[in-house]
Amino acid sequence: MRPGLFRGLGHAGVMLVAAFAATSLHAARPEPPFTIDPYPSTYQPLPRTDTLIVDVTILDGAGGRMDQGEILLRDGRIAAVGRGLSRDNVTVVQGEGRWVTPGIIDVHSHNGTYVLPLTSLDRKASDVSETSDPNVADTWIEHAVNPQDPAFAVALRSGVTTIQVLPGSTPLFAGRSVIVKPMPATNVRAMKFPGAVQGLKMSCGENAKSYFGDKDEAPNSRQGEIAIIREAFLRAQEYRDEWREYSRGKSKKPPQRDLKLDTLAAVLDGAIPVHMHCYRASDMTVMMGIAQEFGFKIAAFHHATEAYKIAAQLKQAGTCVAVWSDWWGFKMELQDSIRENAAMVDAAGVCTMMHSDSPVVGQRLQIEAAKAAGAGRRGGLNLPPERVIAWVTSTPARLLRLGDRIGTIAAGFNADLVVWSGNPFSIYTKAERVFIDGAQVYDSAAPARSPESDFGLGRPEMGGRQ
Amino acid sequence: MKLQTFAAALLLLGTSAYAQNVAIVNAKAWTLATDTPTDNATIVINDGKIASVSVATPAPPGIRVIDAGGKIVTPGLMHPATRLGLIEVSSAAETVDHAAKAGAPGAGFDVQYAVNPNSVLIDLARADGVTRSLSYPSSSNTPPFAGSASLLHLFDGGDVVEQARVAVFVTISNRSANSTVGSRAAQWQLLRAALDTAKAAKPTLNGTADSTALEAVVQGKAPLAISTNRESDLRQAIRLASDYGIRVVIVGGAEAWRVADELAAAKIAVIVEPMSNLPSSFDELGSRLDNPALLRKAGVTVAMSLDGVQSYNAGLSIREGAGLAVANGLPYVDGLRSIITAPAEIWGVADRFGTLASSKDADVVIWDGDPLEPSSAPTTVLVQGREVSLTTRQTELRDRYMPAIKALRP
Repeated sequence: MRPGLFRGLGHAGVMLVAAFAATSLHAARPEPPFTIDPYPSTYQPLPRTDTLIVDVTILDGAGGRMDQGEILLRDGRIAAVGRGLSRDNVTVVQGEGRWVTPGIIDVHSHNGTYVLPLTSLDRKASDVSETSDPNVADTWIEHAVNPQDPAFAVALRSGVTTIQVLPGSTPLFAGRSVIVKPMPATNVRAMKFPGAVQGLKMSCGENAKSYFGDKDEAPNSRQGEIAIIREAFLRAQEYRDEWREYSRGKSKKPPQRDLKLDTLAAVLDGAIPVHMHCYRASDMTVMMGIAQEFGFKIAAFHHATEAYKIAAQLKQAGTCVAVWSDWWGFKMELQDSIRENAAMVDAAGVCTMMHSDSPVVGQRLQIEAAKAAGAGRRGGLNLPPERVIAWVTSTPARLLRLGDRIGTIAAGFNADLVVWSGNPFSIYTKAERVFIDGAQVYDSAAPARSPESDFGLGRPEMGGRQ
Repeated sequence: MKLQTFAAALLLLGTSAYAQNVAIVNAKAWTLATDTPTDNATIVINDGKIASVSVATPAPPGIRVIDAGGKIVTPGLMHPATRLGLIEVSSAAETVDHAAKAGAPGAGFDVQYAVNPNSVLIDLARADGVTRSLSYPSSSNTPPFAGSASLLHLFDGGDVVEQARVAVFVTISNRSANSTVGSRAAQWQLLRAALDTAKAAKPTLNGTADSTALEAVVQGKAPLAISTNRESDLRQAIRLASDYGIRVVIVGGAEAWRVADELAAAKIAVIVEPMSNLPSSFDELGSRLDNPALLRKAGVTVAMSLDGVQSYNAGLSIREGAGLAVANGLPYVDGLRSIITAPAEIWGVADRFGTLASSKDADVVIWDGDPLEPSSAPTTVLVQGREVSLTTRQTELRDRYMPAIKALRP
C-alpha cells in the first residue's frame, strides 16, 4: 500500500480492503460484506503551513538517528529529511538541539469509552465492552466513543498522534476497534484515521471465565473459552464459504448477513487483524494453535507478560507483542511479568511495542520504553535510543497496517511528529510541539490554545493543560 | 537464590550483630541534610549507623570499602503509603489482608498482625531502593475508618514491622468503600463524633482497639491520615485539625494545590499522586501534574504515593512520580526529599532515618544513574549497614529465560 492510496476512498462508503481480489473478476456479484464501513472518516487536517524544523536530533522511528538534522513538512507530508534544506517559503522552527520523533502511537487505549470522570454509571454499565455475551464480535467500539473524554486532549499534548481504541477484554470476541487521531471533534467519524482498517479484539485467560463464570454462564474455564472460540470460527468458515459460493455465482441467493460472522470471516480472510489479550505463555501458545488450525494470524498479543518465555514461537508465527514495562501483579496470570520483557523479545527478533491500556500510561509510552530498555541493559541487552523509539512509533504503525503512512520520519510519510524538550526517554522531557498531518496541533508555549474537552468548560480551573 | 537461611540465623543475634562496618568512597552523595550534593564523599558506617560523611577522606583502615565510582548515593527510599506485606495478588483474596470485614475493629484495625515479610513484592521494593515503608489499611467495617498503619523496615528476611499503630487512616469520599455510609457529610460527622468520644474518654487500661487508636490521635501521639481529594474535603480536614488540635496528614490531595497556603499554615503534609492529571472522578477534577510543585512552593511537606501500584512497583513508581513532579516544577532536591526525607518526617521517624548524617540508620543506596529517572536502578542497597541481595523473583525469571533469548539473537 502506498501512502495516500485510500485517501478519499472513505467517502465512497467502502474503505476497507476488499477481501476477494481474485473473485472480483466475476464483477457481476457483490463482494462479501465483511469489511464494509458504512461510517467512513470525515477527518480533515487543521490548517497548516509548510514548515522546516532545523537543528534537531532526529530519531526517525525506523532505526535511524541524525544529529543536527532538518525536517521539511510540505502539504501535510514529510518532504525531506537531511541538512542544509532550502528555507524558501517555509516557516522555520529552530530546534536548538531538541529531539524529534515520529508521533507516538498507542495501539491499546480505552479512551472515549471509559470516559472521565468515572461515575457509578460506568461501574454499572461501562462502554468499554458489551458484556451480555462472550461473543460480541458484532460490536464496533466506535459507536461508543465519546470524543469529549478529556483523556484524548491530554494524550495529544503528550505527543500521541494515533490511538487505537479497543473494546475491553471481558468477552472472548470483544468487537471491532477503531483507529483515531486524538483531535478535538464532536463525533468519532471526524477523528477516524482515513482508510485505516479495523481490528478485532479477542481475549484469553482469566477475564471471560471469571466474569461469565460468576454469573453461572459459559465460559467458566479456559477450556470452555477455547471451545467457544473454535465453535465460532467453524461457523465463520461456513459463512465465508457460503459468501464465496455466492460471489462466484455458484449460488443464487446471498447468505443472510450475520454481523458477528462478518467480523470473524474477515479475520479468516486476513482483512481484519486480531489483537489478542493474553498474559500467560501457555495461553498464548494455545491461541497460536487455534490461529494455525483456522488459518489466520494473530497480529499481536496485548499485555503478553510472559512473551519472553516463548520468543521463538512468537518469532516463528510472526506475531507481535504489545506490552507494558512494569504494570503487573494484580492477577494470578500476571505473576511472571518482568520489566525486561520488551527488551528480551525484541532482542530475539520478535516484533515488539509498548502499549498503554490507560490514559495515564498512555501519556508516557516513551518512558515505558525507557524503563523496559533500562532493565534490558542491566540484563546485558544493549538497545540504543534509535532502536527503542520504534517500540512506540514504526512498529505500532505496522501493527495497525499504517506502517507506510505513519511512525517513520522519512520523505512521503504523513507529517505526524513531536518536538521534544530533550531526550524523549528522560522523565524530565516534555512534548513541546505536536504535528499531525503537517498541522501544529499543540504548542506548549501557547497553552491557552491547547485542545481541551468541552467537559472542562465552566468549571474551576482544571489542571490538565500543563 | 538468596541466603535467607543465613540472614534469618543472623537476625536471631539482633540487628547490630550482623551489621557490617563499611566505607562508601567516591560518592556523589545527596545527603539531603543540605540542598546540594557532596562530590567525592566518603560515608563511613559502623554498627548499622552512619558514623560520618566527609569529603575526599580515605576509608578507615580495616573495613570493607565500596567504591561508588562517582555515582549518586542517597539514603534509602521510604514509601509513605503502601500495602507492602498486606497484598500479594490483589485479585486473589487469599493473599490480601489490607481490608477488614464484618465484626472487625474500625480505627483500631491493626495491620501489623498481617504483614508478610516473605512477600516477593518486598524484595522488589528493596531492589528498587526502598528500605522503609508505611503499610496502611484500606477499609474497615466502620467507615470512614480504614484502620491503623504499620511502619516497615525492609530487612532481607525476619520481622519487618518496625513500629505498629503509627497513624490512623480514614477515607473520605462518596465512593465504593464508604458507600454504606452515603454522603460525605455523614462521613465527616461520624469521624467527628468518634473523635469527640475519644477526647471525652478517661484514660483506661482496657480500652478497645478502636478507642485506643483514636485516643492516640486526640492525644497527639499518632496522626490522622485522611485519604481524600476534593477541595471541600481538604478544607474540612484543615478545620478538623484545628478543631481537635490533632495532627492531620492528607493522602491523595488531588485538589490540594487550591488550598496550598492553608495547608502550609496548618502544617498539614500531603502525600500526593504525582501522575494524576486527569479528572478520574468528580473528586479529582482539579488534578494537575504541578500539584507537588505548587504545594512545595507554598511550604507544604510533600511525599509521593501512587494508588494501585503502591505494592507492585513500590520503589519504581515513587521514583518515576518524583521525577515527573520535578519535570513539572518541583526542585530536584525536593523531588528526592519527597520519597526519602518527607515520608520520614511525616511518619515521625526522621530522628533515625531520611538523611545521610551521623547517627542515622545506615539505609543507603548507590544508583547506576539518576534515581528519579525510572530507567535507573540501584547497584547497591544497604539496610541498617548490611548489603542486601538485589535478587528478586523477577531477576530469577529473567536469568532463567535469558540464555534462550541470547541464542535467538540475530
